[in-house]
Amino acid sequence: MTTVESPAAATRGIRLDPSSLAQTWAMSKRSTLALWRQPSLVVPSLIFPLFFAALGTSSFSRATALPGFPAVDSYLDFALAGAVVQGILFGSTVGATALATDIENGFFDRLLSSPSTRSGIIVGRMAGGMVFGGAQTLFFILVLLPFGLSVKGGIAGVVAMIIGGTVLALAVGALMSAMAIKTGSSEAVQGAFPLLFIALFFSSAFFPRETMSGVYGTLADVNPISHLVEGFRDLTIEGFSGSAVIRAILIPAGLAVLTVALALRTLNNRLGAR
Amino acid sequence: MTGVGASVHRIGSIVWHDVLMPDTTLPIVAEGLQRHFGSGDDIVKAVDGVDLRIEQGEIFGFLGPNGAGKSTTVRMLTTLLRPTGGVGRVAGFDVVSQANEVRRNIGVALQDAAIDPLMTGAELLKLQAVLYGLPKSQHAAKAGELLERVGLTAAGDRRVGTYSGGMRRRLDLALSLIHEPSVLFLDEPTTGLDPMSRISLWEEIRRLNNDGTTVMLTTQYLEEADQLAERIAIIDGGKIVRKGRPAELKAEVGSPTLFVSVDASASEHASALLASFGDLRPSAEGTLGVGLTEGPSAVSNVVRTLDEAGITVRNLELREPSLDDVFAEATGYRLEGADA
Amino acid sequence: MTAIDQNTTGENRAPVRSVAVTKTWPASVGLMRRSLVNITRLPSAFIPSIMMPIFQSIAFSGTFFAITKIPGFPTDRSINWFLPLGVIMGCGFAGIGIGFATIKDLEGGFYDRLRLTPAPRWSLVSGPLLAAMFRAVLVTLIVLVVGVLFGARPEHGALGIIPLFVAGVGISAIGTGWGLGLAYRFGDMRAAAIMQLTFFLIIFLTEAQTPLFIMEGWLESVTRVNPFNDVIRLSRLGFLEQPMTWNDTWGGLAAIAGFSVLTLLFARSGLKRLSNN
Repeated sequence: MTTVESPAAATRGIRLDPSSLAQTWAMSKRSTLALWRQPSLVVPSLIFPLFFAALGTSSFSRATALPGFPAVDSYLDFALAGAVVQGILFGSTVGATALATDIENGFFDRLLSSPSTRSGIIVGRMAGGMVFGGAQTLFFILVLLPFGLSVKGGIAGVVAMIIGGTVLALAVGALMSAMAIKTGSSEAVQGAFPLLFIALFFSSAFFPRETMSGVYGTLADVNPISHLVEGFRDLTIEGFSGSAVIRAILIPAGLAVLTVALALRTLNNRLGAR
Repeated sequence: MTGVGASVHRIGSIVWHDVLMPDTTLPIVAEGLQRHFGSGDDIVKAVDGVDLRIEQGEIFGFLGPNGAGKSTTVRMLTTLLRPTGGVGRVAGFDVVSQANEVRRNIGVALQDAAIDPLMTGAELLKLQAVLYGLPKSQHAAKAGELLERVGLTAAGDRRVGTYSGGMRRRLDLALSLIHEPSVLFLDEPTTGLDPMSRISLWEEIRRLNNDGTTVMLTTQYLEEADQLAERIAIIDGGKIVRKGRPAELKAEVGSPTLFVSVDASASEHASALLASFGDLRPSAEGTLGVGLTEGPSAVSNVVRTLDEAGITVRNLELREPSLDDVFAEATGYRLEGADA
Repeated sequence: MTAIDQNTTGENRAPVRSVAVTKTWPASVGLMRRSLVNITRLPSAFIPSIMMPIFQSIAFSGTFFAITKIPGFPTDRSINWFLPLGVIMGCGFAGIGIGFATIKDLEGGFYDRLRLTPAPRWSLVSGPLLAAMFRAVLVTLIVLVVGVLFGARPEHGALGIIPLFVAGVGISAIGTGWGLGLAYRFGDMRAAAIMQLTFFLIIFLTEAQTPLFIMEGWLESVTRVNPFNDVIRLSRLGFLEQPMTWNDTWGGLAAIAGFSVLTLLFARSGLKRLSNN
């Protein structure tokens, strides 16, 4: 089953020749358009996080005076980070579900027999989700500004968050894609979604870690999502700083490296098994 | 409650209605039955004034192409769909105002087997028994009996989701018979079945009919109607276009059809010549059809006439009037899926 | 079971068919059992439906742990505050789950089978309703036990647990009526999305997360007029330090009774509409 050139060699790095770039571009366009055509899936990833941010602002404003809470003008400033991360998690399943559907109906096999590189296929798939992740981040910030949101990190902070959001979308998208490729079933992908949700809750996405206690607090401490969210949050409530940027961008980047590698590995296994 | 001699008595906690259907009560009656969807310019007249009087103990065939209104008519007569006009009476009860009485007396197997994939065959039959008010003591026995009747005893404890298409149909039939209805509606019962299963189902329908069950059968298959039905009605565009015994309807068409295949270039000329032998009839691509007024003896004349005109006859086929012809004459086209 | 009856003149009459009248209660029980069997045979749906309310109670009480420190908070255990919310969500989704199952039946054609039977039309609603209520009791029990393991303490003993069960069963009835009504009217998964979204909204626009006195702004105004807030309060009665009074109880009971009736009528009228398609 192995060809003369081993699959591993083909996926080492991204070839930059014109044809594979063109292929990747075409696939990116396709996946982006697909997202825009599914408003019913896209709406929960935009409406829900905003709703909970609004809910929280009305509910927890007095909680901001509690010990352990960082100094904020309003819970809204605190909540932005969690809302963005929540939205990206919700939205990332869309791309992976579409991928699983492609596998189910055979379109994916056709893609594989085209001359694109394997990694090009994955990146093309992810591209739609990445664009959406960046757009989501900007959208949330813009929508919440009239409601009193203030981003202390300024334009630089906003840009850093958009980049972070884009990279996070890649990381989560690749993870869900690995799942899609491994199981070939869109139902399985949907079923994995609650796990993301659980990971989000056992973090400081909605409330500061400092206020948590016991086992729960420990879990939140070790959860990379906590630190990622806090990177976004510090850019909002403290200002532009190296430490915040590192957490907001490098943590997703690190996760992305792992998950993209996982996705490629799963893809190779799938092909090797045929 | 209608019906002469109807009596009501109790056995335990169950109230039994003995409904004696006098010979004068027709099992299925439709008068001007109508179903319109939408309104104004967008109105769709799925069923547009259907009259039917089906006799006690007969098998009645209801024929028509897809979209003609067969299923809609059946849905109205079986209380699933409210008519927008006209009257339907089944087993002597009005389908709108006495719907539950109708339901008690009919068995229905619709086009797509209506089953629950997560339940087993036996469980579904027992649920039917509950919903039809059968005494609890009978549930298991009845379920077993029906499974045997349709040949699903071995599969009875398996989930229906694991059944093949044919098995689901058979279960669907069993589900419709749990209460031994006097009127049975079968909507395209053999569509998609292999020939063996089809014949097997025909036998079962005949058996049920012999026991006294009136059967209304809708089908796209002319052979099926021919084989089973004592009388048929043809529906097209929501209206009934022919009604009667198959033999009578065929006799009405009268003349046998001669199918002639000629080259496409000669087609128009051949048509004109053939027209002198009788009425031109619809036929398949690449052939011409004519009803021979003089009967089969005219065949040699036809061949000679075409030959003298320099037209080569590629193929020739003579067919006695069939339901296919009845249909073609009534609607102007041949029914798809008809056995040639 | 059938007999050819010959009258005195010896003519053959039509076969005598004795057909019993289906009573509402046995039909409801039969349909209840079917609903319950169906739920348990799909572990991929059933297990999450139990795990979700458990997770919600624990996650919320862990994340928002600190709000119990706000002066005047009615309990000092956050699990006490969030366990009833988990129960309400779980029970509501038990009701809505009936809506989901009905959509599947409608799309798959099995619902025709049910409508063809002479079972009284109300039993098509009451059967699944009983199943939802049974499931609600189960969910409430499980979440309660797990909650206690995680530190919840009913402040008013056994008496305090009754309102929790009442609220849970009540919400499941409301969810069933709403779910069925939407399922009948839409007949496809759009109804599922609407059911979930509306339920989520109505439950969270209340004291779900924080008590009224901590709220500010628009949420406070909405919560004051939302009758479902009384249902949430009812469920929490046994878990808060303040004494259980009739004043805090009657609102929730009235809301449950009123909305159950409304949504079940909504369902019944939706069933009628099915014959128009």
